Amino acid sequence: MNISIKEKILSTLINAKGEPVSGQKLADELHISRTMIWKHLKSIEEDGYVIEAIKKKGYILQSIPDLVTPEQILPKLNTKQLGRNIDYYTSCTSTQIIAADKARQGASHGTVIISEEQTAGKGRLERSWDSTANKGIWMSVIIRPNISPEFAAQFTLVSAVAINQAIQEVTNLTPQIKWPNDILINGKKVTGILTELQADMDIVHSIIIGIGVNVNQELSAFDESIQNIATSLKMENGEEVDRSLLVAKILYYLEKYGDLYVEKGFEPIKILWESHNCTIGKRIRATMLRETLEGVALGITKDGVLELRLDSGEIRGIYSADIHLLGRS
Amino acid sequence: MKIQEIREIIKLVDQSSLDEFLYESEGTKIKLKKNEKGFVNSTSETFESSSIIEQPRQVEVKAPVAQEAPKQQVVEEATTESVVDSSLHTIISPMVGTFYQSSSPDTAAYVEVGTKVSADSIVCIVEAMKLFNEIEAEIDGQVVEILVKDGQLVEYGQPLFLVKGN
Repeated sequence: MNISIKEKILSTLINAKGEPVSGQKLADELHISRTMIWKHLKSIEEDGYVIEAIKKKGYILQSIPDLVTPEQILPKLNTKQLGRNIDYYTSCTSTQIIAADKARQGASHGTVIISEEQTAGKGRLERSWDSTANKGIWMSVIIRPNISPEFAAQFTLVSAVAINQAIQEVTNLTPQIKWPNDILINGKKVTGILTELQADMDIVHSIIIGIGVNVNQELSAFDESIQNIATSLKMENGEEVDRSLLVAKILYYLEKYGDLYVEKGFEPIKILWESHNCTIGKRIRATMLRETLEGVALGITKDGVLELRLDSGEIRGIYSADIHLLGRS
Repeated sequence: MKIQEIREIIKLVDQSSLDEFLYESEGTKIKLKKNEKGFVNSTSETFESSSIIEQPRQVEVKAPVAQEAPKQQVVEEATTESVVDSSLHTIISPMVGTFYQSSSPDTAAYVEVGTKVSADSIVCIVEAMKLFNEIEAEIDGQVVEILVKDGQLVEYGQPLFLVKGN
């Protein structure tokens, strides 16, 4: 079935804003038969849309499913480049794997890979990431900033600031950032960001920002082992969140703060990060491959590196670790 | 010639403004070549605080005369005899971060000493602040030495592997 015709019919129904759309008019405009129109409408209904047929008047779109399709995201999107090319899946293994391949094949700056469900979502060091169907945002954004690889890592903090801002705007919740870029609400994780760099010594080819946001899950959707550390936006604010709107807002702020970082450096991002963080001043445990350190998080450096004061008084820069917040110092 | 001596030469050449180095003496031939493509001008402010490795590269552009000194030094260091029949390629880290030999603590290392690699083989991961960079060999050959330990913090430009080219 021709997808572009289906999309045209759907956007006509959406744009009619509850007014009936004549089947004959659709057929004339798209130069296809009434039977074909009917087949496309059936296919649209299979995607979860509710369409009412009224005799001699036409078709009315009664309800739109909560999906993160391009048709739902694009009308809400206010960006120059990010999300202008959306690759949508109902299910896939991992958007990050698909995005990495597409980036190697030359996908343009701002390309988004998004899926309703991931069957093999991954976190740091290949830990599995639970990505329930139709309840979260599971997406990867390919960006191609003109920077040297040594300045790429700060994009993980840029992403945290952007997603934090988008959640705040869409839900009125007040999320906080745990170094470097986990987003927590009331101390529980609502967003994980995993970023991959494709680069040569001197130039970044692409940065692939993998984003997982728990949006509309109930507690039972999470594996028992993570129920006390994970949460969703719906669990925190008590109502369903429009996922496609949140996607559009995330992309908007990612573009805004990404451009700000490339133009002005890390300083403005650092200020934003600090104003939303829940790490500085806390006693933390940093678990690394070769050692585990405990101490007080003093702050982040001009490059975003976490500074930890150990009990011995020694100050250590932390570049990569799992951070556990132990409470106030 | 011992591997340590070769390492020393590579290190010196690496830190110098030379992009090619050839040494020949009684059947010993060492050829080193850096794969530099010039660095990108970044608009990022932080770029001004560029690392030590980059400064010689700037010198190379502005004052070609300065190249003579390090060359002399390198030749003097390389007077021992031995047979190295092909060039050694150094894989260096493009960023500051944690060096990982495998994709997770439970999986096998990407490469060991002796592993044959092709240009696009992944040899390790460098992570900083949850940004993961899979480093590729960029040459067909065989891993001769791993210069850093799993989980170690590596600097920008730090040599990670020696690979003997095919």
